[in-house]
Amino acid sequence: MSTPKGSVLIVGGGIAGVQAALDLADSGFYVHLVEKSSAIGGSMSQLDKTFPTNDCSACILSPKLVECGRHLNINLLTLSEVLSIEGEPGSFRVKVRENPRYVDVDKCIACGSCAEKCPKKVPNEFDLGLGKRKAIYLRYPQAVPLKYAIDPEHCIYLKKPGRCGFCEKVCPADAINFKDTAREHDLHVGSVILALGFRPFDPSRLDFTGYGQFKNVVTSMEFERLLSPSGPCLGHMERPSDHQEPRKIAWLQCIGSRDINKACHGYCSSVCCMYAIKQAVIAKEHSESGDVDATIFFMDMRTHGKGFEAYYNRARDEGIDFKRARVHTILPAANDNLKVRFAGEDGKIAEDEFDLVVLSVGLETDPQVMRLAHELGIELDSDSFAATSCFRPVETSRKGIFVCGALAEPKDIPQSVMEASAAALEAERILHPARWTETRKKEFPPERDVHAEPPRIGVFVCSCGINIASVVDVQAVTDYAWTLPGVVFAQNNLFTCSQDTINQMAEIIKRERLNRVVVASCTPRTHEPLFQETLREAGINKFLFEMANIRDQDSWVHQDEPDAATLKAKDLVRMAVAKVRGDEPLPYNSVPVTKSALVIGAGVAGLTAALSLADQGFPVTLVERKDRLGGHARKFFRTWQGQEVQSYLQELAGMVEANANIDVHLGTTVEDVSGSVGQFRTMLSDGTEVKHGAAIVAVGAESFKPRQGRWNYLYGKNPNVHTLLELDQRFIKDDPGLKGLNQAVFIHCVGSRVPERPYCSRVCCTHAIDQAIHLKEMNPDMDIFMLYRDIRTYGKREHLYQKARSLGIVFIRYDLDNLPRVSETSGRLVVEVKDPIIDAEVTLHPDLLILASAVRPRDDVGELSKLFKCAMTSDGFLLEAHMKLRPVDFATDGVYLAGLCHYPKPVEETIAQAKAAASRAGLVLSRDAVPAESITAVVNAQKCTGCSVCTKVCAYHAVNMDANSQKAVVDTGLCKGCGACVAGCRSDAITLKNLGNEQIMAAVEAAMEDF
Amino acid sequence: MNDKAKNQKDWEPKIIAFLCNWCSYAGADLAGVSRYQYPPSLRIVRVPCSGRVSANMILDALRSGADGVLVSGCHPGDCHYISGNYYARRRFAVLKNFLEFIGIEPGRVNFSWISASEGEQFAEVAKEVTSRVKKLGPARHLVKEF
Amino acid sequence: MPTKNESITQELRQKARHLLESGQVAAFLGYTSGSVPMVMKPFVARKPEDAERLEWNSFCVLNLANYLPPLLRSFEPPRRPNDPPPEGPLPKVGVAATGCWSRNMVVQVQENQMERERVVIIGISSRGMVDRKKVLNAVNHAEITSVKEEDNSLLVKGPGLEEEINRWDVIRDNCQTCVHPDPVIFDEMIGQLQGDRDIQDRFRQVEEIENLSAQDRWQWFTSEIDSCIRCYACRNACPLCYCPTCFVDDSRPQWVGKSREPVDTAIFHILRAYHCAGRCTDCGSCESACPMGIRMRILTKKLQKDVLDLYGTEAGMSIQQPLPLSTYKMDDPQDFVLTESFKGEKK
Repeated sequence: MSTPKGSVLIVGGGIAGVQAALDLADSGFYVHLVEKSSAIGGSMSQLDKTFPTNDCSACILSPKLVECGRHLNINLLTLSEVLSIEGEPGSFRVKVRENPRYVDVDKCIACGSCAEKCPKKVPNEFDLGLGKRKAIYLRYPQAVPLKYAIDPEHCIYLKKPGRCGFCEKVCPADAINFKDTAREHDLHVGSVILALGFRPFDPSRLDFTGYGQFKNVVTSMEFERLLSPSGPCLGHMERPSDHQEPRKIAWLQCIGSRDINKACHGYCSSVCCMYAIKQAVIAKEHSESGDVDATIFFMDMRTHGKGFEAYYNRARDEGIDFKRARVHTILPAANDNLKVRFAGEDGKIAEDEFDLVVLSVGLETDPQVMRLAHELGIELDSDSFAATSCFRPVETSRKGIFVCGALAEPKDIPQSVMEASAAALEAERILHPARWTETRKKEFPPERDVHAEPPRIGVFVCSCGINIASVVDVQAVTDYAWTLPGVVFAQNNLFTCSQDTINQMAEIIKRERLNRVVVASCTPRTHEPLFQETLREAGINKFLFEMANIRDQDSWVHQDEPDAATLKAKDLVRMAVAKVRGDEPLPYNSVPVTKSALVIGAGVAGLTAALSLADQGFPVTLVERKDRLGGHARKFFRTWQGQEVQSYLQELAGMVEANANIDVHLGTTVEDVSGSVGQFRTMLSDGTEVKHGAAIVAVGAESFKPRQGRWNYLYGKNPNVHTLLELDQRFIKDDPGLKGLNQAVFIHCVGSRVPERPYCSRVCCTHAIDQAIHLKEMNPDMDIFMLYRDIRTYGKREHLYQKARSLGIVFIRYDLDNLPRVSETSGRLVVEVKDPIIDAEVTLHPDLLILASAVRPRDDVGELSKLFKCAMTSDGFLLEAHMKLRPVDFATDGVYLAGLCHYPKPVEETIAQAKAAASRAGLVLSRDAVPAESITAVVNAQKCTGCSVCTKVCAYHAVNMDANSQKAVVDTGLCKGCGACVAGCRSDAITLKNLGNEQIMAAVEAAMEDF
Repeated sequence: MNDKAKNQKDWEPKIIAFLCNWCSYAGADLAGVSRYQYPPSLRIVRVPCSGRVSANMILDALRSGADGVLVSGCHPGDCHYISGNYYARRRFAVLKNFLEFIGIEPGRVNFSWISASEGEQFAEVAKEVTSRVKKLGPARHLVKEF
Repeated sequence: MPTKNESITQELRQKARHLLESGQVAAFLGYTSGSVPMVMKPFVARKPEDAERLEWNSFCVLNLANYLPPLLRSFEPPRRPNDPPPEGPLPKVGVAATGCWSRNMVVQVQENQMERERVVIIGISSRGMVDRKKVLNAVNHAEITSVKEEDNSLLVKGPGLEEEINRWDVIRDNCQTCVHPDPVIFDEMIGQLQGDRDIQDRFRQVEEIENLSAQDRWQWFTSEIDSCIRCYACRNACPLCYCPTCFVDDSRPQWVGKSREPVDTAIFHILRAYHCAGRCTDCGSCESACPMGIRMRILTKKLQKDVLDLYGTEAGMSIQQPLPLSTYKMDDPQDFVLTESFKGEKK
């Protein structure tokens, strides 16, 4: 391959595509992000809250979208589709069609006048048709790009030119372009990532649900919109038929999942159990009456992720009714209610009435996506998901094209984000020689030193077309601004953010020798970066800038009170001027990077992460406490897809040993860590000091061995009682003793989902079932019994469960009140258990008793986490920075995690997470310096008492006590500028740059001044 | 503000609102984007986090003549800075009780959690706080006449 | 039979002498009598023979914790701000401590104002200290030339005055409502620990004010602080107030005016009290030090009550227990939050 291209095409602008785009663009690659709708954000933007933290989905997603939209090295192609991809890894030719938006994105200011005037109402697809939008629309309020689009299907003018055209008439920015046409782009990229997501299963295919017939039967996605504050009923939960708040709601699980008959989807959609619980919890919370009865009808409750089981337990405690029953009929009842008929576990038929029925619909691949995959030569599996393998979880059948998110298998957000980073990593691995070759970098002139100058403030008052000017007397505000102390220039602009005004502003700054600027316009959240950049272009430090939000927080919210709004605008300008007067130029902080990594733990996660970085040319120090490579995986027989683990592991270890960039330290532990992102220094137990810019913690976990206590089941006492891994050992050795056995019993959840270890170990159901199948294949006449609580073969692993059942393996459910009892009669094992289906005791005499025991965190992981200032969960696993969107980052910058130390997971997820961790570490290692926060805390040592309140309230460990002076010192590399320390300090000894008490007081006092 | 203005029937109070940048300020923006109308009484001061707001700042607002104060942050669990609002919650709980203890009227100093997607809720809070303050009349207790 | 306080005095002298003689401590901090009846002076014994001047009675009203950090620093070799801390063990100081004083010492350790290892604490379970102002009131402000203390009474004498006063009647308010009279940290004890006291109405003074209308509360607050002369005796007596630049003296930013205008005085008292939130042990030094008889203790008592109600903690009970405003729980009470009370109203 000649030098590869330094750019990547990403198809799909949901959270997975966005994450992959940000990872790549931030580590030296140019990204084309293709999205078929008018805004990025994907399915996640439609969700109300996210489990298990109940975070507001839009709140956590928005900053990523905004970052993506503004990124100099991300080319956002919305309303676009990929037509073809030709070529090979390193050099692909891609044809993309960009459909017309009919709105000029450079001109549109998203004021909404067009939509207000548009006479054509159409069902809003973002609300799944539950609400209406206009023919000119924003996909959703926080859409990125925040630009309107015309829907040509419904636009009156486009259908019949000459009619309507109101939007064009009212648009203050002249942004409507009815003549817009589709454009084709020929892109030349080095690699492609497919992140095309899923579509919710359409339940009208399933008659019994009554969906489409009865108004009060809705899908879970529809219910998300009903809950959402930005949804059709503004967060006041209403049922569709009469807009009344439902009091009694049923959720029906597995609609379009685990159903090989009617829905033709044999797989488990993996996320529905959790989202149903979340919706039930949120519905109870949202309810204005406060008494919502929530019932969830399910087969197996699958809460197999981090924090999920605790969430499930809490939901039960809060009174959500979990019914293990299969609903077979839904009938209409009085008052638009629904009668739900179901068969319980014992086979008895019962019925109940509900106000609202929510169908927990599964995830499936969109047929359009199937066609595209076919055209691109991407192999799909029998479930129509992109075919991948356990050892190559993000690789498609076509070299150089990678996949992430729900396109490969139904999965939750954190798993999708992990895979997105992993896919980015795979692209980087191919393209690393071309890093920074196609990216753009903004250059600015040197900044004028304004320290000695008295404030010369310029005020720019924006009319925003008529958005501000129709309510606020902008001329009066401008005239008033001239009278304020320090102001030497003031001007009113029609659109301050338009390119010509921006250019003019730069000229005025130079001409008038301004050293402070105030823009009174819209919100700094969207426009501050633009104006700050203008200051830099004019040679002024960007922190000498303030905004007065006289649109979003004034003219738009006081439309009928022009005088009061004008008064308020003057106040806001006066406040901004008072604040900017005290602003000082701040450094654009950065920390130089040591371009090498430390990887702790040499199991599959550590080995994978180390190789992933070393292959890109970054030196890696790999530390392993044991005296050999491989970790936990040395005990595994095969993956659930049937690939042998040991041969893979040997190959992996061989590659690590042969890689000149990897320095392996066996029998070694980490003793001490100092420094921060870009510049860590770590002492190893063998006396080596390692300097590194980033670290990946992949120290694994242990399997629980129930040597005594309640979960013992004669383990360690009878030679025929094994853990899963012990049976794997016998499989690996091809133990002849396993042939000719008559009976085996597996007990699931041994030490998991129990009071002392309340989490689900995620891997054991699949592992145990695969072992049972293997035993059955060895001994076709063998009787095998699985004693389980819930079978959690999530995603495509469900096929294994179906296979096991078809092979005649028997599944008997038990619960914590009726544990299986294991005894021994003259050396022979006896297992007794109550079968709830036949309501009778069953006695078994197995030759083998296999305990699917828990994966438990290592006891020493706490010490390591302290060294890196990382947090732990109450279960003892390491805690990532954010459960949803930063699944491999720690809160400490530059430190990442992967594998079992994060949570129990199968090998394919470990590999994906390790690659994701490598990708994230690559963000640091690929650059010479990493930016650091400019607005940081600063200590006045004369005032500091050393009382250490600041160190206690700092979530980033950025404030510490100086060993000598016993005063607080701030590590500006770690400080995020939140100000918790400032508010906590009684002595005014610590303050935030440009956000000090004096400056805030100046703004507050200015707000109250009379004029 | 002079007393003449305050005595006017259509007296509009001035309320200082310290809003965290990531949730509540964004919620206030969304109220605007969605055109929810609320009284023109708030003067919003953008702070990084509700954890940045100290007792001193709240007292300073009252001393400067604010008729009311609102501090609003992310909902517990949503803090952009991990835990700032949790510390804020303790500081404010103690401060609010204390100010009321010395005779500052309940309703002068207010706290809320508003997320970036709660535009309507922001408008509701703005209305509620304004109406509470209006009922109380102009603040006088801690106002320093300069 | 010696009185209880006389026995304590004897034992205290003995222990202090021993500590000084054996070189275990470089100084011993206690009390000695002043020239005026009912006014005791904090006293530093530096030589074994000084121990004989130590005295213990019901008028030891100022919290000795307040003097400890500067006393300890006085034994450190001089150094510039960024010099490393001196090597080797530094001289120790002995100190007498009642329940509240010891709890302030705990707070000082938590706030890095002193090291536990550097103090030898002689614990004394407190029987309560006398409020001089109450005694003066009891004798209608007649001139007092001597006060003799018995276990349960005070014999007050002056020109034409000889009166026996029931001791408990003139005990300070904070001591009367004290729940934790025993030292929480100590190296040696004088006498027995008495255990926590069962006080039903420890927050009675606070509750009385809470029950007033907002208007009356403001009335109470302003009249209570009306006589304040901004002498800062309350601040100076407080072991929690150790900022090098107090907010009242700061000009950047100037949180509070320096005048005696009522608003400035009010803000001073609000911030002074608020700074003590979660840290105050209700030792009563502020009130005892106030020359104007302002009951500013009620302010800190209110904070103490709320912190206990809301977070279940009291200041200085153990070194490990975090200070309540530098920690949090996910499920801390938040009924005061408007958006939360909205939810409640709907229900």
